Amino acid sequence: MSEQQHSGTQDSTHFGFKTVARDEKVSMVANVFHSVAAKYDVMNDLMSLGIHRLWKRFTIDCSGVRPGQKVLDLAGGTGDLTALFSRRVGPTGQVILADINESMLNVGKDKLRDLGLVNNISYVQANAEALPFADNSFDIITIAFGLRNVTDKDAALRSMFRVLKPGGRLLVLEFSKPTEAWLSKVYDLYSFKLLPAMGQLVANDRESYQYLAESIRMHPDQDTLKQMMQQAGFAETSYHNLTGGIVALHRGYKF
Amino acid sequence: MLKLLLPGLLCTVAEKVLNPVIGMDPDAHTRLNRLQGKQFAVRLRGIPLRLVFTAQQNGIWLNSHDEPVDCSISADLSALQQLSDPSQLTRLIREDKLQIDGDLQTLQQFSQFFQQLNPDWQERLSIYLGDAMAHKATNGIQLLQRSIRQYLQQSDHNLRELAQDELRLTPVAAEVQQFSQDVSAVAARTELLQRQLAGLLSQSRAFA
Ligand SMILES: C[S@@+](CC[C@H](N)C(=O)[O-])C[C@H]1O[C@@H](n2cnc3c(N)ncnc32)[C@H](O)[C@@H]1O
Repeated sequence: MSEQQHSGTQDSTHFGFKTVARDEKVSMVANVFHSVAAKYDVMNDLMSLGIHRLWKRFTIDCSGVRPGQKVLDLAGGTGDLTALFSRRVGPTGQVILADINESMLNVGKDKLRDLGLVNNISYVQANAEALPFADNSFDIITIAFGLRNVTDKDAALRSMFRVLKPGGRLLVLEFSKPTEAWLSKVYDLYSFKLLPAMGQLVANDRESYQYLAESIRMHPDQDTLKQMMQQAGFAETSYHNLTGGIVALHRGYKF
Repeated sequence: MLKLLLPGLLCTVAEKVLNPVIGMDPDAHTRLNRLQGKQFAVRLRGIPLRLVFTAQQNGIWLNSHDEPVDCSISADLSALQQLSDPSQLTRLIREDKLQIDGDLQTLQQFSQFFQQLNPDWQERLSIYLGDAMAHKATNGIQLLQRSIRQYLQQSDHNLRELAQDELRLTPVAAEVQQFSQDVSAVAARTELLQRQLAGLLSQSRAFA
């Protein structure tokens, strides 16, 4: 699929398989996450059989995080990555959990407070496309399962590049394209049949999980995303396929 | 397919075991404060995994990566067991069983921290079992700890004996000495032979 197809046309974009007006997508995505926020963590564990925790762990490993660093967990939602980072950067470091959605941020805030993580975390409601931070602010930026929900992904990548310090790195954890044909088939069956049914059963919300499955298919594949990162200015871009390419972790540096 | 994710699983499990144990040692946090912000990495030879320990006020956090840290060691499993004895370090390095990069003090601080870890099992168990049962259980745990330590020491000794006597993999000191004496003797005999040959050659030339 070409990049143009991924980002839609000038005035329209994708919301799952639907084509919608660009302005409309933001509020539609917002509705999805307002509606799933409360059950988000349970559903995440259920849908991925807990493997999302290992994908996130791998992201932390690839970030090479050190005590004292400043980290932006963008589209951080309920703050899984923020928690992992917060413990590692310690009191001399800082983690900012940024998300466009207030409901997700609130669930995140409560969860992190319950874990006793308060001192080095700040919360910011922000759109990835126009980050409200100064140039060269962060050592590490992560965006996990967030980029595919963003309307203008290129603008978001440019914005991340701007706020990253020289020498800093971006990690994009996102659903991608399975590398094996058989896995693709099983995965399709799982996401289009089982996932919406599970959404209905557990969260009483079939549509949000239908959107999830569709948005995954519309997201750029491994090489396209790598190219998009390069176009935004990132150097030494590379990716690792995880769990047969169901998920990929992309990494790029700002030099 | 899960190869990249296994180190993460290992680190998660290790953190889940280690940090509650640290939490049971009332003095651990003061000692952790001294280590705070330090990173230490271990690579066990023969295993494609480098474990990075990050010390913070609230515990020790594990990762697996190849990035620079304050101190990094690469060692054999047997060398790792002997790390607690600082007098062994030079020998281990000389024998190429241990390689250290970075700040030696960080290594010693981490090593000391783990040696001094002394969880108060009784205090924690009494919450669940009541004081009397907790006391019994703690005695049991201490006995188990002693037996495990003894077993490890014994098996280390046995392994060394097995390697030296049965499998003859590693020489004992006396053997090394004998070997070098033998080498010197062979060298001396070769020299003598060389001299005799030279003599014989010059004699045969005189006859020719
Ligand atoms: C699937 S959740 C991922 C949450 C978390 N990173 C995780 O891995 O569990 C996606 C998040 O992206 C956020 N999001 C969507 N569009 C965004 C945008 N344009 N800017 C910032 N966050 C956005 C949503 O509100 C939601 O919390």
